[in-house]
Amino acid sequence: MLRQDANELLTQTGPGTPMGDLFRQYWIPAMLADELPENGSPPVRVKLLCERMIAFRDSRGRYGLIDEFCAHRGASLWFGNTNERDGEQNPGLRCAYHGWKYDVTGQCIEVPSEPDNSSFCSKVKLTSYPLVKIGDVLWTHMGSRENRPPLPEYEFALVPAEQTYTSKRWQECNWLQALEGGIDSSHVSWLHSDGLLNDPLFKGSKGNDYNLNDMKPFFEVVEADGGLYVGVRRNAENGKYYWRITPWVMPSFTMVPPRGDHPVHGHFWIPIDDENCWAYSFDYLPTRALTTAERQYMKDGLGVHNEYVTGTYRPLQNKDNDYMIDREAQRRGETFSGVKGISMQDASVQESMGPIVDRTKERLVSADSGIIKARRKLLLAATALRESGTVPPGVDPAHQRVRSVSVVLPREDSFLDSCRDAVTATPGVRHTSV
Amino acid sequence: MSPHPTLLNSCAWAATAAEARYRIDAVPQIPRASRVIAMDKKAAILIAELARLPWNSTHFLTYSGSAEPAADGRPADGAPPSASGGQLADILLTTPDGAEVRMSDELADADFVMMIASADGAATAAAAIGDSCTLRGIMTAGMIFGEESEMKSAIAALRPNARVLLISKDQHDAAEILSTIGG
Repeated sequence: MLRQDANELLTQTGPGTPMGDLFRQYWIPAMLADELPENGSPPVRVKLLCERMIAFRDSRGRYGLIDEFCAHRGASLWFGNTNERDGEQNPGLRCAYHGWKYDVTGQCIEVPSEPDNSSFCSKVKLTSYPLVKIGDVLWTHMGSRENRPPLPEYEFALVPAEQTYTSKRWQECNWLQALEGGIDSSHVSWLHSDGLLNDPLFKGSKGNDYNLNDMKPFFEVVEADGGLYVGVRRNAENGKYYWRITPWVMPSFTMVPPRGDHPVHGHFWIPIDDENCWAYSFDYLPTRALTTAERQYMKDGLGVHNEYVTGTYRPLQNKDNDYMIDREAQRRGETFSGVKGISMQDASVQESMGPIVDRTKERLVSADSGIIKARRKLLLAATALRESGTVPPGVDPAHQRVRSVSVVLPREDSFLDSCRDAVTATPGVRHTSV
Repeated sequence: MSPHPTLLNSCAWAATAAEARYRIDAVPQIPRASRVIAMDKKAAILIAELARLPWNSTHFLTYSGSAEPAADGRPADGAPPSASGGQLADILLTTPDGAEVRMSDELADADFVMMIASADGAATAAAAIGDSCTLRGIMTAGMIFGEESEMKSAIAALRPNARVLLISKDQHDAAEILSTIGG
């Protein structure tokens, strides 16, 4: 169990909260690049860390992320226009209500009701954050400019476009219970057991046999510079161990250990507000392009991805329809929980815990040591930041150059010692996978 | 999908914040019967500090040496022989007030054992504890404090005998994990 005050500290990410301050130390995914596909794309509402913003791409292709509401009367700039006829010479986002216009930094550049030579607009500036495209993702840093770290270097975002695919979905619960699912490897053999056998992005690897033949794995949790490595071992042939190594980089990045030659996947969980988060799911390969079939599977919602309610990022299977649970499929053993798909199996159980799970009532066991340790690292980092300004783990791009690993090792080998190179993202070097 | 209509309180919408107040406000918190065993002198200092905190049914012990089999040739609580058919090893443990007890007695009503090591040389004791816990169905965890690269022998000793192993630089993790799992 966790004390109520600790639970509140970990789950609240609004401005001025300790965990909110912590998140504002990092570059985090703000949206998919596809949401602003071209110069002058319509503005998009973005809510992150309990702040409502508007993202837009001006007529010259510059990205902006600014306060959603016009400084004048508080109308939403979502109704605004980025595509005026003179946009090329005078780029920006103009409020639909009275025509106030802002550039990508939030600076007001025109107040039509003022005289032509008025300098009034120079005194109006909306809060803004940087918005930078790296890979398939637009990233933002919502902290102070003085503390802005170098741009992120997660491998999935740095490989060539043909080697990577990212999706996102709305998850209707607090970010922490979603993250904890990514650190907790012990649920995979149960909740996702069907996926190992049937999903085209998982099935067929030797590692799956080890997974399914040993339902009581051993766990090792080791500290890393940026967070943790969680190693899970199962018995393999000839007295060896099959290891699955999951890196967690603070605050909310995890990678799933790979299976055979399938693409490697992972997640970012980003708070929208305290009761909702974005689950970003990526698949990539360090040394080859995704095949047409692999990419299509991802678009179709297989693997760690999902299908959508048309025109939204809300999963097609959601709490309104009980995740389309199929009791007959559950009875036949085709799915363990009756819910189809890895991502929706996770979302269904995590959302069922409530918008913010009451951790004073949980009953953890020692197999949850990774979760316990992760919470402690988050609490310590948030406290150290608040009390002494200590830069938290995971901000340094070197901490972000990690990989997940699946490997068979002799019993006496330390998984981390044996896999130091394998857990480090090295361009052009194939990932280690069984 | 189910052909039957789903009512508000029987569907996933019951997972709203408003519905959370109807959750039964009682948790079955029967504490675990935990045994925390220091495997070396440095770890003994740590658990001496831990023992001063308020705990439920947790005993704090330090490995002090091998024990002779009981007079009847079996461990004191009558546990079965080891899986290999040989004699199950027993060890002696020291309580915080200096009394010496047999591991087999301590494990008789335990359901969780946490081994704490900070240096090499835990192999014999870890194997004895691990074997005894396996035969009794007792959950095991190991905690090793220090740099991983300097603890290879301790890791190798605890790994086969602890279902969960945490290698940490933060000694407060011991109290955190013990309290979180209900020690």
